[in-house]
Amino acid sequence: MTKLTVAAALCLGLMSGSAFAASAWTGGDDLPTNPLACDGTAAAPAAKPYDGGEPASAPDRKGKKITVVDIPKLIGIGYFNATSKGIQDAAAELGNVEAKTDGPTKANIDEQITFIDNYITSGVDGILFAANDPVAIAPVLKKALSKGINVVGYDANSTPDARQWFVNQAEFNGIAKSLIDNMAKEIGEDGSFAIVTSTFTTPNQARWIAEMAAYAEACHPKMKWLETVEAQEDNNLSFNQATTLINKHGDDLKGIFGMTSVATPASAEAVTQAGKCGSIAVVGLATPNAMKPYVEKDCVKTVVLWNPVDLGYAALQVMRAVADGTLKPGATSVKAGKLGDLQVINGSEILLGPPFSFTKENIGQFDF
Amino acid sequence: MNLPALLRHETVLALLVIIALATLAGLSDRFFTAENLLNQGRLMAEVGLVALGMTFVIVTGGIDLSVGSILGLTAILFGVFWQNVGMPLPVAMVAALASGTLAGVGNGLIITRFKVPPLIATLATLALYRGLAEGISQARSVRGYPEWFFFFGQGEILDVPVQLWVLAIATAICAVILGLTPFGRATYATGANEVAARFSGIRVDATKLWIYAGTGFLAALAAIIFVSRVTTTRSDMGTGLELDVITGVVLGGTSIFGGRGTIIGTALGLILIQALKNGLALSGVKGDGTIVVIGIVLIIAILVSAIVDRSRGG
Repeated sequence: MTKLTVAAALCLGLMSGSAFAASAWTGGDDLPTNPLACDGTAAAPAAKPYDGGEPASAPDRKGKKITVVDIPKLIGIGYFNATSKGIQDAAAELGNVEAKTDGPTKANIDEQITFIDNYITSGVDGILFAANDPVAIAPVLKKALSKGINVVGYDANSTPDARQWFVNQAEFNGIAKSLIDNMAKEIGEDGSFAIVTSTFTTPNQARWIAEMAAYAEACHPKMKWLETVEAQEDNNLSFNQATTLINKHGDDLKGIFGMTSVATPASAEAVTQAGKCGSIAVVGLATPNAMKPYVEKDCVKTVVLWNPVDLGYAALQVMRAVADGTLKPGATSVKAGKLGDLQVINGSEILLGPPFSFTKENIGQFDF
Repeated sequence: MNLPALLRHETVLALLVIIALATLAGLSDRFFTAENLLNQGRLMAEVGLVALGMTFVIVTGGIDLSVGSILGLTAILFGVFWQNVGMPLPVAMVAALASGTLAGVGNGLIITRFKVPPLIATLATLALYRGLAEGISQARSVRGYPEWFFFFGQGEILDVPVQLWVLAIATAICAVILGLTPFGRATYATGANEVAARFSGIRVDATKLWIYAGTGFLAALAAIIFVSRVTTTRSDMGTGLELDVITGVVLGGTSIFGGRGTIIGTALGLILIQALKNGLALSGVKGDGTIVVIGIVLIIAILVSAIVDRSRGG
């Protein structure tokens, strides 16, 4: 039955010549893809009405000093230290926002909810959050809105009606384009590569792989996909799977994509131990700290992710714009200080921009 | 009323609670309002329910580390019973309560039949029940419960949160059972001297089995209230709950060696911790600072109680 569906989808795809088919690569999902233009010109955003929430009878905060609390998934880890730094940078630049970061020491939905609840009672003007669970956090955020507090999310979304805006760090097609472009640059337009992912059904990874397949077909048609392997998010398994790929495909294998922050360093380690540095490229999603040893040894040239300092900076800029009333439902862009104009997508999300590539030149500046 | 009777641990604790409430009310004018206090009651209901059972467990000289995992497991089972098995929601609730009780019975059987120390037995089931929760859920959340179900976690009766009523009733029942019934006396006797209790004809094993089963039931009840409050089911719910619960019970004056402790003490201990967490947050202390203060208060309370105890004995 699945085969039939795939075949039918393929026929349809061939006939219409569009990319709307089941993903060509194993590990992708079957949702429609939306590859970006090869030269990176932004597509016109699909018109979607504002679907965020509205605070009830919020006081006029235009130009006034506001108190904002940032409640990330957890505190004390490099990633959220970086977003917190961005928030402080923006607060210092704006001058009329008092911002602080507070939150649970472990990524626990219950504790995060309690923190938000306490800050609602203490009477802040704005709440920034990165949700541990999109649904569980919704009731307490709605409570904040009902008390006239401005609510803006970043990094991890809630259900749209529980907050006003969400700063989206990267779209699936943006990540896909960046990964494929970097790989093409390293292994050439006709190179062959394999993918190490978490599982074939993990939502984010499946979405990225589907978008990568669509983008590669459109912009780098001669690149050859060999196979996709599953490695959970397990360090050992990722290493073993990458080693198997290297042994199995021999000289055919020119590149490995790591789709998780575990798979990418493990693949780099496998390539290093096989003595294939320089002949097999590793491109993937990962945090800089895990990749520094490989990048410094020139074994990995590009690590793709977003810049969390910019993410925090943008989140507070958006909060200020919402409080001032300059960012209203229906807006198509928002001014975010040094980041310039950021685009509104999906009704009530603000896109941070294209993903960030960590390279040997800049990776030393990041600590997360 | 002589002096020693006044210097019971509960009295010391009640004084501490009053001092804490007064200080915190002075630090923030948003603390001592009916709205905030009732809201805090809502937030402490789950820990409170489980702490009632834990008081019994610790009075027998035992411990139950698996309560957080039982909460997670029953939350997942509740969601699965409703969404995947297709039970009507009320039936799923009863089934979840039964599963939680069964998980508690499992603890009790391992402890009484195989003479495994409670610490080891429930350390094992802490892993086992959490593993089951994660396996059954496959890391997927169950969502989309009907609106009426949120009554238990978000609703109010006579302006008081629903779960606070549940907690109050459960506290009253547990206080009566522990303080005034033969079962309560058997609980104390078991904890004070298990061998003597056996020779006195007390059914020690049956008592323990009932207590662990009851704790499992309360954890399941807390799970349903929790799911109703946050409108979703996740396998990591209740992680670390056991530590909050045990902290409250021990702060309440229940001896970790068994034989001593009261429900009133546990209630006071929980109120003190919740008041500190909330009051300090409202007066601008950050989360990490709050944990430090709670640790210090715990040490002070135990020290004061020990000193009072010694002076009374000597």
